[in-house]
Amino acid sequence: MSAYNNEHFRNLVQTDRVHRSVYTDPQIFEIEMEKIFGRTWVFVGHESLVPNFGDYYCTTLGRQPIVLSRDEAGKLHVLYNRCGHRGAKVLSKERGNQRVFTCMYHGWGFRPDGKLAGVPMRGDFPEGVLDDPVFGMAPLPRFESYRGFVFACLDPNVMPLKDYLGEAIRGIDEMVDRAPDGEVQFWAGCHRYIYKGNWKLQMDNMADTYHPAACHGSTVGPDGRQFQRRAGAEGGAAPFFAPNGEAIVSQLGVRGFPNGHSSEQSLFDKEQRGGVIEEYRALMVSRFGEERTAEIMKNRRHSLTLFPTTDILIAQTSVRIVKPLAVDLTEVEIWPVRLKGAPEVISTDLVKFVNITHSASSFIQTDDLEAFERCQEGLKTQGADWVLIARGVGAEIDEGNGVLLGPRSSEVGMRAKHNMWRDLMSA
Amino acid sequence: MSTLANKIKTAPRGALTMEELRDFIENEADLLDEQRFDEWVALYAEDAVYWAPAKPDQTSWLDHVSLFYDDKHTMKTRVQRLKHPMIHCQDPKSNCVRVLSNFKVEWASDDGNEYRVRSKFLMLEDRQGADRRVFGGRYTHTLRRTAAGLEIVLKKVELTNCDQRFPMLTQPF
Repeated sequence: MSAYNNEHFRNLVQTDRVHRSVYTDPQIFEIEMEKIFGRTWVFVGHESLVPNFGDYYCTTLGRQPIVLSRDEAGKLHVLYNRCGHRGAKVLSKERGNQRVFTCMYHGWGFRPDGKLAGVPMRGDFPEGVLDDPVFGMAPLPRFESYRGFVFACLDPNVMPLKDYLGEAIRGIDEMVDRAPDGEVQFWAGCHRYIYKGNWKLQMDNMADTYHPAACHGSTVGPDGRQFQRRAGAEGGAAPFFAPNGEAIVSQLGVRGFPNGHSSEQSLFDKEQRGGVIEEYRALMVSRFGEERTAEIMKNRRHSLTLFPTTDILIAQTSVRIVKPLAVDLTEVEIWPVRLKGAPEVISTDLVKFVNITHSASSFIQTDDLEAFERCQEGLKTQGADWVLIARGVGAEIDEGNGVLLGPRSSEVGMRAKHNMWRDLMSA
Repeated sequence: MSTLANKIKTAPRGALTMEELRDFIENEADLLDEQRFDEWVALYAEDAVYWAPAKPDQTSWLDHVSLFYDDKHTMKTRVQRLKHPMIHCQDPKSNCVRVLSNFKVEWASDDGNEYRVRSKFLMLEDRQGADRRVFGGRYTHTLRRTAAGLEIVLKKVELTNCDQRFPMLTQPF
C-alpha cells in the first residue's frame, strides 16, 4: 500500500494537470470507493420517488445496494438493501410498494423503517439475538433531504449537508424555484446510458464548455444553427458560432466552488418565451410578482454539478446521476423533473426534449460517450502521463466565498473537482 | 425507390395483401440496413412518429422518457446528423442487419386505407473496435395509403431490453 500513501495522491493532482492513473488504475478506484464514496454526501434520489407508505426506490451508493423507503408515519428512510439474516438483497425491482419487505431466501420480513417484522420459526433462534437492530435492514449512517433532494453518507462524522454544498446549493434552488408550487418531482423515469470509461470523464465533461465545437460539430445544421434543444421561441435552433469563428458556448464561463462543485454559464441569454410559457410565466408572476419571477427565470447557468456525481441540469430541467461501476465502466441516469404547479405541457415538453439531448440515442450525448471511451483507450499509453486542465489558470476572478469564475471555457471547474478529489484521497 | 414500393403505389384500390404490407416493411428495414437514411425518412408521413419506448407496456411518450421519440422534424435532424462528416460516434460506421418475421395484420380500416401490422425482429450491430450488439423485439407499423402510396404514420419499436441501460444508440431499430 505504500505506493498509495497520502503524498502519492497529493502529487497526482497538480495546478494545471492530473496524472492519467487517476482514470485508469483499478487500485485507485478501490480507494475512491472508501475515501470518496465512503466519506462525502452523495445524492441518492428524490423524495417524490417514494411519496406513500410502503413505497420504495432501490439504487446504489458507490457499489452498495441501498433503498429509499417511506414508513407508516410518512418518514423517509435510507437503508442498506440487504437482509439482516444471511445477506441477500431483499428488494429486486427498482420501485414498488410493499408494507413488508420480504426476503425471498428464508422469508424474513422487514418494515419500511428497516425493523424486523417477522421471522419464520422464530423460537428456534437463541433468545435475544434477533432483538439486535443490526439484524433488520440497517439504516445508512447519515442522510439529509434538501427541498426533496436526498443525500446520504456512509461516514457518521460528515459535516452537515448545507455546509458541504455551500454556495452550490443554489443549483437546487434555481431549479426548484421555477416550480410554481416550490417543489419538483421525478415523475417520468430516467434515461440510462453506459460507457467504457472512468466516472470522472463524465464529471470533467460537465465543467467543459471548450469541447462542443469539435465534439458536437455534427449537431450544427447547414444554416449554422444547432437543433432546437428546448421549448419556446428562445429555446434553440440558435447560431452555434460567433462572428469570429469561435463556438459561442466556448466563450462562456465556468465557475469552481469549494468542495469540488462547479457550474457552467447558460447558453441562452434570453428568458424562454412564447406559447404556453407565457401562461406559465403569468402564473409565476401571480404567485411571486414580476421582479421575483424575472429573477427566477433568468438564465444564469447551463448546469450546476455537485461533487462527486450529481449534475443539476438547469437549462434542461433534469438531474443527472453518475454511477461508477468499475475503473473503466460507468452508468449515467438522466431524470427529467416536473415543475409542480406548472401547466402540464411544460413538463411533457421537457420529457420530449431530454430524449434528444441526453438519452443514449441523443444527438449530443452519443459523441460525448465516444470521447469518453477514446480517452479511456488513449490514457493506457505510458510515457505521456498527464491530462491537462490548464485553460484559464491565473485568469480566475474571485467572486468571494471561495467561488472562482473562469471566463472563456476555463477549466476552473475541473480543477475544483480534482482538488477536492486530491484532498479526500490524501486525507 | 425500390420496385416493391412502386408496386404498392400502382396496385388497384381495395385491401392490400399481407404480402404487399410485408414487402413495404421489409423494404424499410433494408433502407436502414443500407443506411439510405433520406429514402428511409421519405417513407414517413408528415405527422409521423418514430417511437421506441423505454419501459415495457409504456402507453405514452409524454409521461415517460423514451429511447427514441422522433417526430418528422426530429427524424430529419437525426438523419442530417447521421450524414454529417463530424459524427464521431459513427467513425467508423456501424454495420447492421435487421431480420423480420411473424407478420400479422392486427387491424385494418374498413376502407382498406389504414393498417396496423405487427412483426418481430432481430438486429445485429457491428462496429470496428466495439462489441457485437444484438437487439430484438416487436415492431408495430401503423400505415396509411394515400394517393402517393403507402406511408408510415407510427413505427413503435418495443425492445425486449428497453428498460435497461444502453451504450450509445446511433442506429434507429
